[in-house]
Amino acid sequence: MVFSTVLKTKTDKHVGMGQIALGCGPTHLTAVLGSCVAVALHGAKQEIGVLGHVILAHSSGRNSPPGKFADTAIPEMLRMMDNANVPRGEIVARLAGGANIFGRSGPLQIGDANIEAVTQLLKDVGIPVKAQDVGGSKGRRVSLDCQTGSLTIEMAGNPARVL
Amino acid sequence: MTHEICTASNQLEMLHQLFASATHDASAAMCRWTNGLITLSLDEVREIPLQDVCCEVDVGDELLTMVVLCLEGEVGGEMILTFDNHNGRQLAAALLGQDAGTSPEWSDLEKSALTETGNILGCAYMNALTRLINVELVPSAPYFIQDYGASVLQQALMNQAMTSDQALICRTGFHRQGEELNWRVFFVPTEPMRGAMEKALSSASLKHLKTTTGSSQQKDRVPEDKNDGELWSNAP
Repeated sequence: MVFSTVLKTKTDKHVGMGQIALGCGPTHLTAVLGSCVAVALHGAKQEIGVLGHVILAHSSGRNSPPGKFADTAIPEMLRMMDNANVPRGEIVARLAGGANIFGRSGPLQIGDANIEAVTQLLKDVGIPVKAQDVGGSKGRRVSLDCQTGSLTIEMAGNPARVL
Repeated sequence: MTHEICTASNQLEMLHQLFASATHDASAAMCRWTNGLITLSLDEVREIPLQDVCCEVDVGDELLTMVVLCLEGEVGGEMILTFDNHNGRQLAAALLGQDAGTSPEWSDLEKSALTETGNILGCAYMNALTRLINVELVPSAPYFIQDYGASVLQQALMNQAMTSDQALICRTGFHRQGEELNWRVFFVPTEPMRGAMEKALSSASLKHLKTTTGSSQQKDRVPEDKNDGELWSNAP
């Protein structure tokens, strides 16, 4: 087991559970994930990125912060990109997370449900998923470089991977 | 609104009393397991907005060594025992009576030492909670994980997240002869477990806890109990 620590820059911003954050230029948006899914949207020309830390798939009408559920997070993230003048046709998505850390079996697989919901919602609005690193049984630490759109993913015991 | 805040505050205070009592039992078990060296104290029982959990309970985004016990069934939850790598190896070495391991991979024996520690702690906690809330709790076998502390804590919070934007977490710390250690136990109840605890708290049977375990304004430090002959150097 290799324990590594990534150096943080002054422009790192942590995105907690159910939060959405927008950054531009050299900003790095970071999150630590278990069964949650990180949805990273990026506009390359504008060098603007939005990171959503989605906890569950469906809001079912509940009045919670929009970033908590996939079906409220994706519209909110697109609204933020619209406000930042990123044309819809230039947005690409990258996904990470959705693990099953406790290895539970059964019909309710939160990680899988999150991945499925986010993928379908992005497909419905025509946002292409450029790359993804999802599933498995390990947590992930992710960092979105708002300048380049790259999503760096670290997992315990593995070298960092860049999407 | 003020009434609701008071009610929530009172509930947390009562939950604190319940967890303090369970911590007392777990501390006695830990004390016996380590020949009087290690004791526990209840740090806090808090409701925290989900987005702030990992910062507020100080698990950060670093890799940790953990032992997890899941309570199976509807009235359930997760207990997570966390160490940084160095402290975990120190404990394993002390229990095994050998020098701390230096190879990147943990040996099966080291993992077993920590897993057994989790088992002893978990069973003491669960027995106490079973007695206090009068609901039978069935813990899983403990398992060893090395992962991001925040990832594991988040996974444990999923049941609560389905119905609330707040997380109820109980955090316990460890002490070695008065010195605070960088080890923690987190207990994250499911919503039905929380309901069972609150139901029990509303009954007269738990009222005595308030007078026996002190106030949540101070840490519920448990005195060391050196009444057991097990050796610190014993292998699990």
